[in-house]
Amino acid sequence: MSETKSGSLDPKSPNTKTQGSVSRRGFLKGLGAGGIGSAIAPAAVLGASTVATAGAVAAPVQGRGEMVGPGRVPVRLQVNGEEVAIDVEPRETLLDVLRQDKDTSGDYVDFTGNKRVCDRASCGACSMLVDGRLTYGCTMLAIEAQGHEVITIEGLGTPDSMNAVQEAFVETDALMCGFCTPGMVVAVTALLEENQDPTRDEIRKSLDGNICRCGTYPRIFEAAEIAAARMRGA
Amino acid sequence: MATEPKSPKPATVRNSETLRDALEIETPRMRKAIEATRPETVERWAQEAAEPRQWSWPSERRLIGQRIPRLDGAIKATGEATYSYDINQPRLCYGKILRCSHGRARIVSLNMTAAERAPGVVAVHVLAETGAILRYHGDPIAAVAAETEEQARDARRLIEVEYEVLPHVVTEEDAMLPDAPQVNEDGNIRIGRLRSSGDVQAALEDADVNFEGIFRTQVQTHSSLETHGVVAEWNGDDLTVWASTQGVHAIRQSLSNYFEIPATRVHVVTPVMGGGFGSKLGPGVEDATAAELARSSGRPVKILLERDEEHLDTGNRPSAVARVKAGATQDGTLTAFEATGYGTGGITSGANFPMPYIYSVANSYYQASAIYTDAGNQRAMRAPGHPQGSFITEAVMDELATRLQMDPVEFRQNNLPEDSLWGEQLDLGAAGIGWENWHPPGDPTPGPMKKGLGCAISTWGSGGGRTRASCTIHPDGSVEMNTGTQDIGTGTRTIVAIVTAEILGLEVEDITVNIGNSDYPYSGSSGGSTTIPSVCPAVRVTAGLALEALFEQIAPQLEVAADQLEARVGAIGVVGNPGRSWSWSEACRILGSQPVSVDGQWERGLSSSGVNGAQFAAVTVDTETGVVTVDKVSAFHDCGLVIDELTAESQVNGGIIGGLSYALFEERIMDRPSGRMVNPDFEMYHVAGPSDMPEFDVHMMDVPERGVLGLGEPPTIPTAAAIANAVANAIGVRVHSLPITPEKVLGALHEGPEATLPTTRFDLLDAAIAAAAEGSDDQ
Repeated sequence: MSETKSGSLDPKSPNTKTQGSVSRRGFLKGLGAGGIGSAIAPAAVLGASTVATAGAVAAPVQGRGEMVGPGRVPVRLQVNGEEVAIDVEPRETLLDVLRQDKDTSGDYVDFTGNKRVCDRASCGACSMLVDGRLTYGCTMLAIEAQGHEVITIEGLGTPDSMNAVQEAFVETDALMCGFCTPGMVVAVTALLEENQDPTRDEIRKSLDGNICRCGTYPRIFEAAEIAAARMRGA
Repeated sequence: MATEPKSPKPATVRNSETLRDALEIETPRMRKAIEATRPETVERWAQEAAEPRQWSWPSERRLIGQRIPRLDGAIKATGEATYSYDINQPRLCYGKILRCSHGRARIVSLNMTAAERAPGVVAVHVLAETGAILRYHGDPIAAVAAETEEQARDARRLIEVEYEVLPHVVTEEDAMLPDAPQVNEDGNIRIGRLRSSGDVQAALEDADVNFEGIFRTQVQTHSSLETHGVVAEWNGDDLTVWASTQGVHAIRQSLSNYFEIPATRVHVVTPVMGGGFGSKLGPGVEDATAAELARSSGRPVKILLERDEEHLDTGNRPSAVARVKAGATQDGTLTAFEATGYGTGGITSGANFPMPYIYSVANSYYQASAIYTDAGNQRAMRAPGHPQGSFITEAVMDELATRLQMDPVEFRQNNLPEDSLWGEQLDLGAAGIGWENWHPPGDPTPGPMKKGLGCAISTWGSGGGRTRASCTIHPDGSVEMNTGTQDIGTGTRTIVAIVTAEILGLEVEDITVNIGNSDYPYSGSSGGSTTIPSVCPAVRVTAGLALEALFEQIAPQLEVAADQLEARVGAIGVVGNPGRSWSWSEACRILGSQPVSVDGQWERGLSSSGVNGAQFAAVTVDTETGVVTVDKVSAFHDCGLVIDELTAESQVNGGIIGGLSYALFEERIMDRPSGRMVNPDFEMYHVAGPSDMPEFDVHMMDVPERGVLGLGEPPTIPTAAAIANAVANAIGVRVHSLPITPEKVLGALHEGPEATLPTTRFDLLDAAIAAAAEGSDDQ
């Protein structure tokens, strides 16, 4: 992926550093049953969709764990090579925060390229890279993304400087309405990072988490093959 | 029986170029066929030909018909394209709509107080007052707007509704019961008009072979990836909405009517949108609701529906159920076709489907009725009615061919409307799919994997009109073409640039295309496959007028008569004098400070209507699991003058994929006890994905003499029918309903075809029809 603008697809990028005022470890403790699977503090009221009244202040939990939410908490995210300081509700998904929240200086974060289509990990329109790993932005909380490097579609190229996958999508008309396209481009890019010479079947399988309604699949396969060949220098 | 390949043409017809070569031989027959297809069309063409006609398509085309990547490809591939859903206006608020969670209910009380006081709420808006009857799961009740989306959701939960839950009906069969709750004041059955010809009873009796059967199709939802919605913002008395729509002018008109403000005060903006498929042709409750909330809050408000709302309340393709009796004679003539049908479009009618679909039959009888149910209403969906009529008719055709021991392609050829294009398309499709491998129903190959082939044909109206455009050529040589159409993913923006550039001798990148805004000259909604035949002629005429105006302006300075100037590639030249020319920018500079600006509109003679097609499918059925895999689809679609072969092929691919998804996966499932849709999501409402894709063998049958034709809908029509026929051909038993799920395939194999048909109640429909007939006799 030599064309990648930010060069930030390096999976070795630091991901353990605690950032912002809420540490990942502290959050996990505070989150309790709120979705991560550990039930250390079941009394916590952080259920992503069960909070009836936003803005309430949660009682501190027992022990060393640090309680967050349900009100806004400051976080710092690494997105497309930029650091974004932002106050988020703990229940907000990474996707929603990047698309529609404002940063601490009051400007929209405005990474609207990735779309919310199903909002429950069925369609792949929100596919992003988190530490180089293909991730649905709709099923990761923004606070979970702290300390990880997030790449959205905007981080892969611009209209004037597209990556090989994006160029191939345009050439082969692998997009129609374009709404699934950002997720598809990210998914193909992730595939080609792992497998420089995928078979048609491997391409199909790797994209099975993504839905297109206009019917661009065959051309996406074609685009993936063209991009792979170019990236190999074939 | 013998299975000689039908087509004399080589099976290697793979792309349009070789296809064109192949068709070169056939052109006279094709032309004759086109002219004979539709008498009314031919008559109209004759009238049009008699009218003085100023404009025609260039006979030598430099850009038109090439493979040109779409102009907005780069912004879409990089996430730069800004959809309505992506609009982040300063001070933006989020609107959410509370919807009925029952099949039918009356509002006993509605209290917005708690919602109104919730944190962040800036406005509320009531859509259904106390006492109102809510008619389906998803019927809107009230809306809130708040500073953040989370706050809007929280506030929505605080809306207090007390329901009186009423009896509901969500299936056609329940709705037809004599004591069923009445969805409509006029009853739940709207009996359709009877159409008949000849004497179908006698023909059925005289037929050498007969077939009787019942078929059923499901309700399909459009499932556009960008949900319906708008961002609405008031600036004084002016309302701007960024709308995910197929019709910017339709939305403007509706909001102007709703708020009783002049249309000039409403601005609808849709630079890009994430799919519509017919569901976004006109306004929905979300448009005016967002504008209401924006007006009362004084803030811009975004309402983009959530996925469940999109399934519940933005339209669907109605179901179709038909009981068919058909007969044919030993010479392979379809002689009788009798069908009684019903279907549901939810709380509205409009569940019609054409039958018999396309084939000629001397004796026919057809009556289709609409059944009202407590479910979200239907809207036009990609070729409304046609895939349903096609699936049923083509199944009957195959069953009759089997009984005649005749090749199904040959049987179809025998029964086509006279001299039609389909004969040609069937020949080509047979070659494309490898029909020489066809076997009678039931793949004799040992083992669990059975292969089968099937085919089906399609027809669609298309046709154009209703479009204006304006074009400005600036003194610096830059060009803008404006028209109030919209690009719904079909490539309209690119098509406008190609046509303009072709006429002016420029490149597509040189043209600034302004579309997707109701402030631009009128064009209709993008539906009915009419966009290209509407927009292209208007753009061609307007570009031609602009060029003429340019010539008028610059001719004196060039000391040449204006009518002696012509556009060349990047230059203006003198007719018949290749040596004398000026570069485009040099010529435009002569304009000085005053650009050339003209208006034009659609004219006859540059587009036409009537689009035919044929598709063939090859499938493999795993008889142990019931899973159907579509291996290949060969598609031959008539498309007149192709403007951009690349985007045209994408349209056909998309139609096939939509048809495949309809054939095998999609189904709105209503829960009878609760009256709710149980799968308003993308987990249980399954649409085709990457691993479901067959090999695509797509051919544009371009006949430039016809002018431009639309291609959005036709290619989705025959796919499901062809796949269903291929499945029956593979396993030797027919699945009588869509979608063809593994469960139904296994049911067909182990229990017979009747196991593949969900409950139908023609007895109830027959009784209603008889009662209505008696009633009318009494009068």
